[in-house]
Amino acid sequence: MSATTTAGSTLTTTASRVWRVAALALIVLFACGPIVWMVLSSFRPPAELFQDPPQVLPRGWTGQWYDEVFASSDVLRWFANSFTVSVATTLVAVTIGTLAAYALTRFDFPGRRTLLGSLVVAYLFPSILLLVPVYLLLSALGLVGNLSGLVVAHLATTLPLAIWLMKSFVESVPRELEEAALVDGCGQLRAFALVTVPLLRTGLATTALFVFILSWDEYLFASVLTQGDTMTVPVAIAGYVTSFDIRWGAIMALGTLVTLPIVVIFSLLQRLFEKGITSGSVKG
Amino acid sequence: MTTTSTAPPARAVPRGQQRRGSIRARERRLGIMFALPATLLFLAVLAYPIFENIRTTFFSVDLLTGRTEYVGLANLRELASDETLRSTVGRTLLWTVACLAGQLALGLLAAILIDQSWKGMRWIRQLLLLPYVVPVIASALIWTWMLDGSYGILGSGLQSLGVVPDGTSPLGMESASLWTVIVINVWRGFPFAMLVFWAALQGIDQQQYEAAKVDGAGPLREFWSITLPNLRGAVIALVALRGIWTLMYFELIWLTTRGGPVNSSDIVPTYIYKIVMGEFRLGYAAAIATVTGLTLFALAAVVMVARKVRRAA
Repeated sequence: MSATTTAGSTLTTTASRVWRVAALALIVLFACGPIVWMVLSSFRPPAELFQDPPQVLPRGWTGQWYDEVFASSDVLRWFANSFTVSVATTLVAVTIGTLAAYALTRFDFPGRRTLLGSLVVAYLFPSILLLVPVYLLLSALGLVGNLSGLVVAHLATTLPLAIWLMKSFVESVPRELEEAALVDGCGQLRAFALVTVPLLRTGLATTALFVFILSWDEYLFASVLTQGDTMTVPVAIAGYVTSFDIRWGAIMALGTLVTLPIVVIFSLLQRLFEKGITSGSVKG
Repeated sequence: MTTTSTAPPARAVPRGQQRRGSIRARERRLGIMFALPATLLFLAVLAYPIFENIRTTFFSVDLLTGRTEYVGLANLRELASDETLRSTVGRTLLWTVACLAGQLALGLLAAILIDQSWKGMRWIRQLLLLPYVVPVIASALIWTWMLDGSYGILGSGLQSLGVVPDGTSPLGMESASLWTVIVINVWRGFPFAMLVFWAALQGIDQQQYEAAKVDGAGPLREFWSITLPNLRGAVIALVALRGIWTLMYFELIWLTTRGGPVNSSDIVPTYIYKIVMGEFRLGYAAAIATVTGLTLFALAAVVMVARKVRRAA
C-alpha cells in the first residue's frame, strides 16, 4: 500500500516537473523569441529577409546592414546624443536624488512632509500630462532643439524615482556609523561624504542603472524637444521607419544596437535590478 | 574641532541639554540644504508645469505665431462634446484592464514557474526579464516587423491560419489593432509583475504549506487558500502602479500604430499627442491633460480614503 503511494507521488512529481519545464520553455520562447528574431534579422541577407513566405532558419548571413548603418555619420551622432543625455541625466538625478534622500531620512526640516508627499505624486505623475507645459517652458527658455532641454525634461521623470530608490538605501545605512564619525570630529558634510556615500555604492549603482535605462529609452519628450542634429536614437529610428521605404534589415540592426548597451548593463547588474524593482514598487 | 580630543562621554549629557535647541536648528539647516536642489527642480519641472497646464486650459495657444488668447471655458466645452475623446476614453479603459489582466496573469504564472531552486534558474530569470529591459523603440519595431503583412514571420503565420486576410498585418486592421498592441504590452510588462510576485512568493511562510499538506490539501487548494491570499499586497501594488502607468502609456502604441488605423488603437495619451504635434492646439491638449490629471487624482484620493476607512473599521 505504502509502496504504491510513493510510486504514485514520484510519478506525479515527474509529471508536474515535465509540465513545469514545458510551460517555462513556452514562456521563455514568448519572452525571448522576438528579441532573437530581431538579432537574426539584422544579419540576414536581403533576399532572405524579403521572402514570401518567410523562412525561420537563416541560410546565409551578412554584415551589410551594420556596414550601412555605420557608414552613415548621422548614426554615430544619434548614439552620441543619446549617450550624452543619458549620462548627464544620470549624474544629475543621482547626485541631487541622493542629497534629497539623505535629507529626508536623516533630518527633520520644514517642508519635509510636503517634499515626501510631492515625491509620491511626482513618481506616479504621467509625463504625457506634462507635455504641453514642459514644451512651453523649454521653448520660452530657448531650450527646444537643445540637448540640455531634454536633460531637464528627463529629470522630471527620473528624479522622483532616484530619490525614492536612494531613500530606501540610505535607510539601510546605520545611523551609528555617522554618529561615530561625528564624535571623531568630522563635520556632518564630511561624515556624509566619507562614511555614508561609500556605504551607498550598491544603491548608487542600482539607481544609476534605472535612471540611465529610463533616459536612454525615453521617446515622448525627445520626439518633441529634439530635431535634426540633436535627435536621440529612439527618435531617429522612429523617423527612419516612416521616411524611407521600410529597410527592415537596417532597422533591425539599429534596434539591436540600441538594445545592446542596456542588455549589457542589465546582465552585469541583474541582482541590483531585481532588488530595485521589488523595493521600488512593493514598498510604496 | 579642537574640543573633540577631550573625552566626550563625560560631558555629553549637559552639553546635549544645553544645545538641544541649536542642534535642532542645525539639523533644520542641513536638511534644507540637502533637499534644496531637488526641491527647486521639483518646483521647476513639476509644480510649475502643473500650474501652467491648468492656466493653459483657459487659453488658445497658436504654436506658429506664438500668440495666446484667453478663451475662458471654450476648451472645456469642446472637451465635453468631443465624441472622439469619449470613445478614446472607453478604449483607454479597455486597454488598461486587458493589459493589467494579461500582465498579472502571465506574471504570476511565470513567478510560480521560476520559484524553484533548479540549477540555472538565475539565467532563466534573466531571459524572462529581457522584454522589460529592451528599449521600447526596439520592441515596437520588432513586433511591427514580425507582424508585417508581406514578410513578417508572425504576420504570414496568421495569414496561413486564416486569422487575418492575405497581405495584411493585424496592426493595420481596425478590428484587431487594439488587441494586438495589448498583446505586445503584455509581453513587455509581464516580467515586472513576475518579479514582484516572485519576491512575494519567497516571503510566504513554508509552514503554511506544510500544515495544508497535513490537512490533505491538493495543489489547487493550496494555491487558492495560501498562495493567492499571501499575494494580496503584491496585487494591490501592481494594480495601483501599473494601472496608472498603463492608462497613460504613450510610447508603445504611438510607435506601433500611431493610434490607427483611423482611431482604432487611440488612447488618451496618443490623442493628446496628436492634438499637440498634429494640430498644434496646445490649449485644447492642456484642457484634456488637466481633466485627465484631476480624474486620476480624484481616483487616487478615493482609493486612499477607502483604504483608510477599511483599516479604521
